[in-house]
Amino acid sequence: MTGVAGFHGSLPLTGADCFLRAFDHEIQRLNGANHVSQLVLRLGPGFDAEGFRRVIEEAARVHPLLRAPVARRLGFGPPVFRLGAAARCPMPRVEIHDQAAERAEAVPDLFFSRLNQPLSLRRGELIRFDAVRYAGGATGTDLAASWLHLLFDGAGSERFMRRLDECYRGERQIAELPDADETAPERGAKLPFKERGRAAQAWQTAHEAMAARPPRSLAGPVRRTPQALRYSVDAFSAQETARVVATARTRAGFLTPMLFYLAAALRAHHAVFQARGVDPGSYVVPLPVNLRPKGGEGAVFRTHVSLMWFQAFPEQMEDFDALVADLKAQRVAAIRSGQIENGVHAMDFARIAPRRLYAHMARRTLHGELCSFFFAFTDGFLPGLGEFFGAEIHNGFHVPPVPPSPGSCIALSLREGHLNATHVVQRGVFSDRELAIFRERLRADLLG
Amino acid sequence: MSDATPEELTQRVFEILRGGLLDVGADFTPRSNLVAAGLDSLAVTQLMLAIEESTGVWIDDSLLTPENLESAESLANLLHRQLRGA
Repeated sequence: MTGVAGFHGSLPLTGADCFLRAFDHEIQRLNGANHVSQLVLRLGPGFDAEGFRRVIEEAARVHPLLRAPVARRLGFGPPVFRLGAAARCPMPRVEIHDQAAERAEAVPDLFFSRLNQPLSLRRGELIRFDAVRYAGGATGTDLAASWLHLLFDGAGSERFMRRLDECYRGERQIAELPDADETAPERGAKLPFKERGRAAQAWQTAHEAMAARPPRSLAGPVRRTPQALRYSVDAFSAQETARVVATARTRAGFLTPMLFYLAAALRAHHAVFQARGVDPGSYVVPLPVNLRPKGGEGAVFRTHVSLMWFQAFPEQMEDFDALVADLKAQRVAAIRSGQIENGVHAMDFARIAPRRLYAHMARRTLHGELCSFFFAFTDGFLPGLGEFFGAEIHNGFHVPPVPPSPGSCIALSLREGHLNATHVVQRGVFSDRELAIFRERLRADLLG
Repeated sequence: MSDATPEELTQRVFEILRGGLLDVGADFTPRSNLVAAGLDSLAVTQLMLAIEESTGVWIDDSLLTPENLESAESLANLLHRQLRGA
């Protein structure tokens, strides 16, 4: 790959990309926005904004994926990144906003609005960056990267940011931002169509079984409403984090702490349902599973995930340890039954199914709901990376996207010994009192 | 399988890990640290399932401690104890 202008051809979307594309289309159609992810870095003084702009422009010149329009091949085939058309698409925007005010504990409102402003798959507007400088950068900068979720997943976005910084420091060539074979066409034999169909059907059957007691999200199965997401970050102190991490290991096992965090998230949502006096039916939550090979560097671009589904019932919410034990058993059963692989095949069908039909089917299974809420635990956030473009990283976290329904997503990650709990909500889904109940319950459970 | 030696079990576990569970290089040995080599929660469960298929023994979650998952060798020693006790 020598440059956008000299690049030809296309790169297929992964099945997971197509799955996200279907939901992006639904959000666009019904909620006037896109399925946008965000990564936030809270930086100290010294951020080289011009250096950052230069590296992004250079990267977008060399890597067409950063601004390649997405469309179906020949109008009806599987969706692809049209690499050859990238040269005609605009460069990713890098906007610097100077603020005279002191940096507040909360992130700038601008970052919330970026979650709700459209990007465009069709026009290759896949990613944008906003840097809010305080006192011209002398007292610090907040940086947000906002992108259409199918450009890269959480793990890929961290790898992207890390490699940008390596390019800035001259430790990596921009041409090597992704690995050489990452943007090559997919290889390897696939299962015969019939077997893939069987695997996808097994995934669907497992999904349908959860509908025996269907979930209800706090937003309800709302359809047409403008997307208005915002988020808050509960940053735990080093002492609190050490306690949370130790408790998670003890109660859920040292390799499966995410189940401890999931149980806490379930109970926090349940506390709100109880305060509302509404029956949640059941709680159904998808957990993203990273499919990259273990131990290797792995891909930067596109999404490489499957989903593992969990279901819990209101009557299980009283006993935290019993809840964790049940989640553990569900996890092993899901892996044993091949749910992760089946999920890959089910999402693969989004390559050929019309977007609208696919999204409709996903919602119809659970009686109009996608799930109860979204959840992610991504463990260490940019571990070992202390500076970004010349500025110390004070904190950093992911902001996963969530459609207006279910309207609630809790994402947890660890940054240099500090736990961040990022709660993304659709405006109006939680009252102020309910938000207080949610945060209090979550904090209390995490701290054991 | 219950009469397998720790060395045979180490080799079995090592082969499962190298056979696609971990993306490791030639420097990966039966004494390499598994977590450092990329063993995560998903991979460890897949490993347990492969071990169960191979030996008929399911290693209880409570035994998956950092010490037992230190290396293919330490895991094989645990498996050996489980097989002898089974």
